[in-house]
Amino acid sequence: MKKRSMVWVLLLAALLLSTSTLWAAAEVEQAPTGPVKIVYWRSLTGVAGDVQEELVAQFNASQDKVIVESQFQGAYAEILQKLLAALAAGEVPDVVLLDSPFVPLFAKDGALFALDNLVKNDKTAFNLKDYIPGLLADGYYDGKLYALPVMRSTPLLYVNGDMLAEAGLPRKAPATWDEFRAISKAVTKYNAAGEMIQVGAGFTLGLTTAHWYFQGAVYAYGGQISDEKFGMHLSEAPAIAAATLWQDMVFKDKTAIPSNSHDDFLNKKVAMVFGSTGSMGNLLSRATFQVIPAFIPGQVQNLVPVGGAVLAMTSNDKWRQQAAWDFMKFMTNAESNAKIVIKTGYMPVTTSAANHPDLVAYFKANPERAVAIDQLKYTRPQASVISLGKGTEILRQMVEKLLIANMDPATVMKETDAALLKEYNESYK
Amino acid sequence: MAVKRDSYIMPTRGVGVRRGMTIRTRRDMFTFLLFVAPNFILLGVFVFWPILYSLILSFFKWNMIAPKKTFIGFQNYQSLFSDPVFWQVTRNTLVLALATVVVKLSISLVLALEMNTDIRGKSFYRAIIFSPTFTTSVAVAMVWSWIFDPHFGLLKVFISPLGLRAPDWLWETEYSLPAVIIVLIWSGIGYDMVLFLAGLKNIPREIYDAALVDGVSPWQNFIYITFPLLSPTTFFLTITSFIGALKAFDIIAIMTDGGPLNSSNVFVYYLYQNAFQWFKTGFASALALILFILIMAITLVQNRLSRRWVHY
Repeated sequence: MKKRSMVWVLLLAALLLSTSTLWAAAEVEQAPTGPVKIVYWRSLTGVAGDVQEELVAQFNASQDKVIVESQFQGAYAEILQKLLAALAAGEVPDVVLLDSPFVPLFAKDGALFALDNLVKNDKTAFNLKDYIPGLLADGYYDGKLYALPVMRSTPLLYVNGDMLAEAGLPRKAPATWDEFRAISKAVTKYNAAGEMIQVGAGFTLGLTTAHWYFQGAVYAYGGQISDEKFGMHLSEAPAIAAATLWQDMVFKDKTAIPSNSHDDFLNKKVAMVFGSTGSMGNLLSRATFQVIPAFIPGQVQNLVPVGGAVLAMTSNDKWRQQAAWDFMKFMTNAESNAKIVIKTGYMPVTTSAANHPDLVAYFKANPERAVAIDQLKYTRPQASVISLGKGTEILRQMVEKLLIANMDPATVMKETDAALLKEYNESYK
Repeated sequence: MAVKRDSYIMPTRGVGVRRGMTIRTRRDMFTFLLFVAPNFILLGVFVFWPILYSLILSFFKWNMIAPKKTFIGFQNYQSLFSDPVFWQVTRNTLVLALATVVVKLSISLVLALEMNTDIRGKSFYRAIIFSPTFTTSVAVAMVWSWIFDPHFGLLKVFISPLGLRAPDWLWETEYSLPAVIIVLIWSGIGYDMVLFLAGLKNIPREIYDAALVDGVSPWQNFIYITFPLLSPTTFFLTITSFIGALKAFDIIAIMTDGGPLNSSNVFVYYLYQNAFQWFKTGFASALALILFILIMAITLVQNRLSRRWVHY
């Protein structure tokens, strides 16, 4: 009978399917024969994405023990989301390009593999001391190393030199926040009807950037957002001073506007904007005027939070962990790193990369790009609250309360401290 | 319609398949189950189980990374109801849904009535009005972000000569939600208009002819004939538009991120933020359940109300 044979076929198919998955499960337990295949989750597009693909191909061609499969997973935020899903499903990649503040979040619940033993047992010329301390620091959680720095950036100030010259100022970026305010006043123009023609500065309110530049301002005033033990410091004088300055420029001086993109800068509506070192190539090539990349202004000191991504290991199998380690070392060695820096504008992560002949020659030819390297001396990891899932959002709302709702800075900062502490106690501790 | 004993159509009242089930029908029943099983298993795995699991998760505190989930009872619901942002988001969602549905349906009905007459270049206009429907929402949001730009946006060009202040649509707390509503209305009109047109074509010509003989005015024509006979279409569009508006996500994610200060944040986006940006799986699941109940309740109420004004 036709119907019955159909039933048997279906049953047989089901049986085959289940046994094949059983075999697949058994296979994992065996020691690997031949090259180890590992999966690398990358982020970033454009040149920053291409250079990763290029390095992966180069690594695969350079040896026959490890084969890396590079998978593009979208922006940093999307990688986080997909990694969460992967962890929940138990199907994790081996190496992940992770937004640096999120190392503690994943490390504290055991999602990342600590690298200390791999470092200790490494028989090659690998030297952990070669990494620039300010960039290696946020790879640590609870005294253990979980990540190596790779595509690191710092916040910079981009200045329209032509607009400064028009206002009779020297073509020079402001060294302090006070100078920043004075320059903004000098270049701002309104027409007779009170409509804005151009203003001094644009404060970025992007989801992932608003807090970054604000951190820079607070550090310049000698303060901080939160310490490693999650003590909150926003209601202290330096943070309030920075917040008041930003707010006064928008509402009292009317020499700055909240803005979400670099378009206002490129269209000569604002003379100064903040941006990542990673945006340098883009801004320099698109601007129709002289762009001066500069340090984030100092006040009592120069100090900026490092951003960008690190390589973290999520492998849960010891052969693949070793393979992943080899790959991570390759991605951050002087040769590879110099290539990344030249192609993208990210910062060198090791001393040997900074001294690599290719890079030295490159900075000699493009002196304006060297500002990122100079600022490297004044870096620190981001505030601890950034690794709270909601930390960036709470800080963005703080900036919005200051620059859009025009609320009293002291009150806003106190509220933000409380909100951050509540978030820490509820979801992190 | 007579129901055949052997068929698998759901039995109508009084014609039981079960009654006097023969060996043959029982065997057929087995085959029937076997054939629907793949579908049911898929639905179960990808629809029913996630719904149930989300319900379970709403009683836990879990960040999706930790191996252990902590049972916290109704605490997620408690913090949800004491969360000011939750109430703000709920209000935003309802305002958005109501404004979108009322304005969008009114405009598309007027357009459909216009397009139903014999004007020149009818299909050209129809195509233009329908075009937002097949435009990707990401592209729509990007283009509108430019239109709303306070300095060189297209909208400013129209507003400024009228002597009105051109607001910074996406960066002022009073204007961000209206901006989103405008885009949602604009992008939904085409689809609604086409359905209204189809509804209009279904109204029998004879009724209008009879009315013409009786000498009714165009307004009476609309109030007493067109609108009542169009009511099934209106009802369908009201419900689908309402549900669609409650689920608005993409436009908001691209244009405003729910900001500034949650002024344009809505239910689904807040849910997404909690689950995937802030890793609060339990809280987000509780939100999802509330949204489910909300949509259910609104649909039921509309269904009940519809008996008064929908004529099939």
